Amino acid sequence: MSDVILSARGVTKIFRQGRIEVPALRGVDLEVRTGEFLALVGPSGSGKTTFLNLAGALDVPTGGELLVFGKRIADLSRAARAELRLRELGFVFQAYNLVPVLTALENVEFVLELQGVGGERRERARAVLDELGLGELADRRPAELSGGQQQRVAVARAVAARPRLVLADEPTANLDGENAEILMHLMRDLRDRHGMTFVFSTHDPRVVAHAVRVVTLVDGRVARDQEKPGEAPHEILPGVGKAEAAGHLGP
Amino acid sequence: MALVAGKYALRSVGRNVRRTALSVLGIAIGVALALFMESMNRGREGLFARAAAYSGSGHLRVVPRGWRLRRDPRLRLAGFEADLAAARDLPGVAVVAPRARAQVLLAMGTHVVPIEAVGVDPEAEQRAYRFVRNVVAGRWLRPDDEPGAAVVGQAVADRLEAELGDDLLATVVGEGGRIESGMLRIVGIVRTGSEEIDASICQVTLGELERLTGLRGAGEVTVLLSDHRSAPAARAALAARIAPGDEVLTFEDLAPEFKGHLEQDKATNRFVNGIILLIVVLGVASAQLAAVLERRREFAVLSALGMRARRMVRLVLLEALALGLAGGALGLALGLPVLWLFSTRGLDLSRLMGATWSFQGILIEPVIYGDLGPWIVPYVLAVALGATALASLYPAWFAARTDPAVALRVAQ
Ligand SMILES: Nc1ncnc2c1ncn2[C@@H]1O[C@H](COP(=O)(O)OP(=O)(O)OP(=O)(O)O)[C@@H](O)[C@H]1O
Ligand SMILES: [Mg+2]
Repeated sequence: MSDVILSARGVTKIFRQGRIEVPALRGVDLEVRTGEFLALVGPSGSGKTTFLNLAGALDVPTGGELLVFGKRIADLSRAARAELRLRELGFVFQAYNLVPVLTALENVEFVLELQGVGGERRERARAVLDELGLGELADRRPAELSGGQQQRVAVARAVAARPRLVLADEPTANLDGENAEILMHLMRDLRDRHGMTFVFSTHDPRVVAHAVRVVTLVDGRVARDQEKPGEAPHEILPGVGKAEAAGHLGP
Repeated sequence: MALVAGKYALRSVGRNVRRTALSVLGIAIGVALALFMESMNRGREGLFARAAAYSGSGHLRVVPRGWRLRRDPRLRLAGFEADLAAARDLPGVAVVAPRARAQVLLAMGTHVVPIEAVGVDPEAEQRAYRFVRNVVAGRWLRPDDEPGAAVVGQAVADRLEAELGDDLLATVVGEGGRIESGMLRIVGIVRTGSEEIDASICQVTLGELERLTGLRGAGEVTVLLSDHRSAPAARAALAARIAPGDEVLTFEDLAPEFKGHLEQDKATNRFVNGIILLIVVLGVASAQLAAVLERRREFAVLSALGMRARRMVRLVLLEALALGLAGGALGLALGLPVLWLFSTRGLDLSRLMGATWSFQGILIEPVIYGDLGPWIVPYVLAVALGATALASLYPAWFAARTDPAVALRVAQ
């Protein structure tokens, strides 16, 4: 019952720099289903960031058809795209990008506040940190955290509002091998227990090893699309029900 | 979005301490200056009220209908007694001074001075016209004074080369245009401090003026109120009670140029004030814009997380609110001692203008006392918050417009 949450058909994106046109995507065809753990790989400049920005409704495609949760991104207003990001999407950035003046807990709480969560906001934020094993760091500001810790808090922030799709652009690029491992386990765990869908870009083969599906972009097109045998989304999904009952998150 | 957004805004203000301190100082100085200007403007209102009170013009004046246009001193009230009684019954009345006026030619020896003689109630007059109290020779009029007793200004005496006790020949145009004359004796000489005014003072009792002109009654009933702010209400109440054929004028009606002059002064002050505040607003705006630009990536992240434009505007305005409150508080702290000084000691313009200042026949003390009252708190809040909110509108709009895709691409 893995339904399609993202569907790209012939998606193009052309950037204009004055007179020069830079084609970043030249026709991407891709479908992403609920519960996938998808790595986007490819050489530098192949269009990974561009595609993630489109998938995350941060930007609109130049051509083709891109549907995210059944909505045509090209047709959405700025406000509607913001609303979609707020309700359905989570982001993890390469540079962590936590709000520097807020503590780890407040960073997570702020997203819930934006969602309009009322009284139990603080408790929910704390529960998310606890679940990810970050309870001890709750009252520290980003400057008082290591890069690995910051990125884990960033993941907590991304998933706190129970998004159905989490997008991460090179989430481990600034981390050492050990912290990259920890982060991948964290994300994989969230996906296994809550059925959240993750799409992330990376250059790191060790990170790719964690992926269930690997999509390779070359020159703005999908060059390869491999699913790891035995790890198809539908085989993992039955476990979701159990985790939902026990966990704090869950769709 | 109470909690975290509030902390966020407050801590953001504290991020660049030096910039924040400079912004706060700028706002504070602007606020303090605006406060001072406003205090003095309100003080000018008081100057106006005091001028009305001391110069004999009064806050209200009952005159015969038609006097306002013709200004003929021979006109007499339609119902002097009724008007006087109505004025005395008015709540909040301090002094009621009836007067009658006449164009008089004073002569002594070969010297002649044309003047407007005023018949007064000696008791009331001294309280209504503060400057005639300055008798430098002789005495003030008595209620039942000897026939012909007159008090003249120093300049009048000088021009006639007359002294205390000298007799003057007074010639007036009386009832029906007949020329009447009588003798006056100088019993007192006053000096107001203004040549112009001293040259126009010739006061006798009401009875004496009646005798000279043959015109009965009084030409005006001047009313001084304990509080000038009650003038509009008192005017309406008085107008309802006076004799038909008479009307009530206010000080504004009597001295429109004076009022106009004051208003002009105030307008100039407001204009200067506006320019100062504009400079403050521009300064704060550029600081706020710099703060927003520095955090472009942060706003892009917030946008990516789904923060709507309206909330982002609110966040920046919240930061402005914190700046404004701090600036307002400091401005109040800076301005209060100055305000207190000028409200108790006053701004003395006499060095510029001479001891007293006459403006179109109205004598005023050239001291402006700044106004200090509970109005300063809402005023400071309004100015400080208004200025910072205004200064933050563009930066807030700029922040809300951040394109998350572009900003996130920007290298660290
Ligand atoms: N805002 C932009 N304006 C102009 N060209 C752009 C813009 N963003 C991306 N590009 C171009 O589009 C192409 C794809 O860029 P993109 O950032 O998506 O690649 P990427 O696969 O993420 O690369 P990397 O692995 O280095 O992060 C590149 O040629 C890039 O120069
Ligand atoms: Mg990239």
